[in-house]
Amino acid sequence: MPLDTSTYSLALLRVDGRRWNELRRLHAQIRTQDAADGSSYLEMGHTKVMCIVTGPSEQQQQRRGQTSQRDAAAINVNVVIAGFSSVDRKKSGRNDKRIQEIEVTIANALASNLHTHLFPHSSITISLHVLSQDGSLLAALLNATTLALIDAGIPMTDYIAACTAGSTSTYAAGDDSADPLLDLNNQEEQELPFLTVATLGDSDRIAVLVCESRVQVTRLEGMLVVGVDGCKQVKQFLDQVVREKGAEMVREGAVEKSDAMGMVLDE
Amino acid sequence: MASEAVFVLPGDQIDPSLIPSHPKKALRLGPGLRHVPPNDILPTLAGQLITDRQKNAIRVENAGGRYQPRAGELVIGTVHHSAAEVYYVNLSDYTTPALLPQLSFEGATKKTRPVLAAGALVYARVALANKHMDAELECVSSSTGKSEGLGPLTGGMLFSISLGMARRLMMPKSVLEGKIAVLEELASAGLQFETAAGRNGKFWVDSESVKTVIAVGRAVQETDEKRLDVDAQKKLVRKVIKELS
Amino acid sequence: MPREAEPSLSERTFVTQALEEGLRVDGRKFDQFRSLELTFGDEYGVAEVKFGKTRVLAKVSAEVTVPYTDRPFDGVFTITSELSPMIAPSYEVNRPSMEEVLLSRLLEKTIRRSGALDTESLCLIAGQKCWSIRVDLHVLTHDGNLTDCACLAVVAALRHFRKPDSSIEGETLTIYTSAEREPVPLSWLHSPFCVTFSFFGEEGEQILVDTTWLEEQLRVSTCTYSINKHGELCQIAKFGGAALDAPLFIQCATGALNRSKELTDLVERKLADDAKRRDKGGFMAELTAENDR
Repeated sequence: MPLDTSTYSLALLRVDGRRWNELRRLHAQIRTQDAADGSSYLEMGHTKVMCIVTGPSEQQQQRRGQTSQRDAAAINVNVVIAGFSSVDRKKSGRNDKRIQEIEVTIANALASNLHTHLFPHSSITISLHVLSQDGSLLAALLNATTLALIDAGIPMTDYIAACTAGSTSTYAAGDDSADPLLDLNNQEEQELPFLTVATLGDSDRIAVLVCESRVQVTRLEGMLVVGVDGCKQVKQFLDQVVREKGAEMVREGAVEKSDAMGMVLDE
Repeated sequence: MASEAVFVLPGDQIDPSLIPSHPKKALRLGPGLRHVPPNDILPTLAGQLITDRQKNAIRVENAGGRYQPRAGELVIGTVHHSAAEVYYVNLSDYTTPALLPQLSFEGATKKTRPVLAAGALVYARVALANKHMDAELECVSSSTGKSEGLGPLTGGMLFSISLGMARRLMMPKSVLEGKIAVLEELASAGLQFETAAGRNGKFWVDSESVKTVIAVGRAVQETDEKRLDVDAQKKLVRKVIKELS
Repeated sequence: MPREAEPSLSERTFVTQALEEGLRVDGRKFDQFRSLELTFGDEYGVAEVKFGKTRVLAKVSAEVTVPYTDRPFDGVFTITSELSPMIAPSYEVNRPSMEEVLLSRLLEKTIRRSGALDTESLCLIAGQKCWSIRVDLHVLTHDGNLTDCACLAVVAALRHFRKPDSSIEGETLTIYTSAEREPVPLSWLHSPFCVTFSFFGEEGEQILVDTTWLEEQLRVSTCTYSINKHGELCQIAKFGGAALDAPLFIQCATGALNRSKELTDLVERKLADDAKRRDKGGFMAELTAENDR
């Protein structure tokens, strides 16, 4: 599926009509599932994921090959990619290495962000469901996880917000004219080099950085800057979602106003 | 002592002249030897055959392999976790932990006993080591009730060495018999440090200065890995001291 | 199965303290690599790499198979890695550990997906016959920095490998034995190398390269770059861990590029040495009646 990237240089508009620094439409909900301790639903353009958090619960599932953490909560992540999520129905086996890699990435990113030492001998189980795929999958999963963990009320250092950043030409093409791009969709991901960045809160500190395509090292800096900037926008959005939900809960009387711990809810 | 080192392989015939024959004491077989009735002694390990005529003992010296606890040996272990009465102590990787009763410390009673966190180091003696049973450790002499230098090791750094090296370091006359001069040389060069060696292939060094600890630990490890003789060890120490200053 | 003993508290505090003073337990500087050893086997396509005590062996083999139906013009290229109980009893055969999954994914991204090997050149008859190149990676001992070591071994083995020559006349495909025709090297496009950086300290401000196993157990975060000498990144992997300042990544990328250039030179030099060793003076030397006996 060759993508005609040459049109970009004419109008500076991407295949879906965005400019280089525009995110796709973001939409998110939290507390979508009654049965879970924390849950969320997140759309980044046409990428749609759900996250369900269970725990921290006392019984620790002893998983093979996992170092026993006695003084901190263990984090288990399961990612299920629905068969109908992409254009061609693919059956992915249980041991798909790509999915396992995503699971490890999410678990490790959370392990250093969550205050797991508060829950010794327990486990936090995160299950993620991918309903529709259109690029930026890892980023969407990380964002959905952050929201669901906030819903579950698990103490954490700060938001982990993620997005992708790319570059307008492939490694073979001319170098100097390459512009960075923000938040790639599936079509762009197939064609262009890109990386996934996740930052911690409003800072420039990068928690996850994954690049799987061939790209000139000189373009890394531009892509990183754009990616980090995108993460800040995503963080703003996530924060807004949480605040709105909080305000709604106060309005409905689900939470006493005093329980909101001085959070500024109405803005 | 046999004047020349005798090397044996498993199943070798042992020259009868090498087997000590003390008129009164019974013959004692050390590790690596097996008595096949009626009166054959066969090595089960490859290594140097050592005969001790005073003690009427014979054994095979072997530097490698996994540590197997034997009663009376001094070891350095890492506390894995604690249970109601005992600490579970790891002596080596991938082996079941040894048990260290919480009361077997100097002056320990039900009320006052040292609290060791997971990951703490202890210098202990193997009290009980039977086949098919978890080994048991102690940090106090059962006869005198004194610690005799055993107990928790705080600070410092742990280095891994081969079992043979650990044995040589722990010989009473390590310079003469074990051909280990590196520690004495380092000390006489003016370095101040504290060491403990465990028969399970662990070597603990502590000092005021981080540099000294690294220098001592690395010197011992290098002596072990490169099988340096006494002269080479002296050379190594001179090099280490030069790098430090 | 009892696990490996984790580093004791003394070791943890000491390593951290030493790093704060700018010292590593094995006496190296922060940006100093361990001595590296690369040796080729007698056969083509066997390479063994030692990084200190870490030791990895890669073996390349080739056979003729049927190409995948969805890619009739491409040959088959697979990298299989094996972390066996040889390293430590906790690794089981046929039950891939997470470490092994990540390693094989990393090698896949670095070497296969970056197009280091021209898979189209492996095609013999479109849709019917192609070469299947397989790299078997065996980790013999593990003392840290496995990815860098494994990647170097795989690249070196593939560069060293020679596949039997072949020709097509009309409909008949002929594969020649090494006695008939000199085997030919693979069509190799670029050599990517992995360079892993490990971060220590609260803020990840201490950056170490080529860590030992002890250091790896204590690091707060790690980042692996795959880069070739032309400065083309093939992948970056920072799977979670502590968050680090963005400029550090640019700084590390420069370090990775320099290291990659060094490794490229080393592989070239070793390959040249090996070729010299094998070259007994050409065809005339082969025809002489003298032999070793």
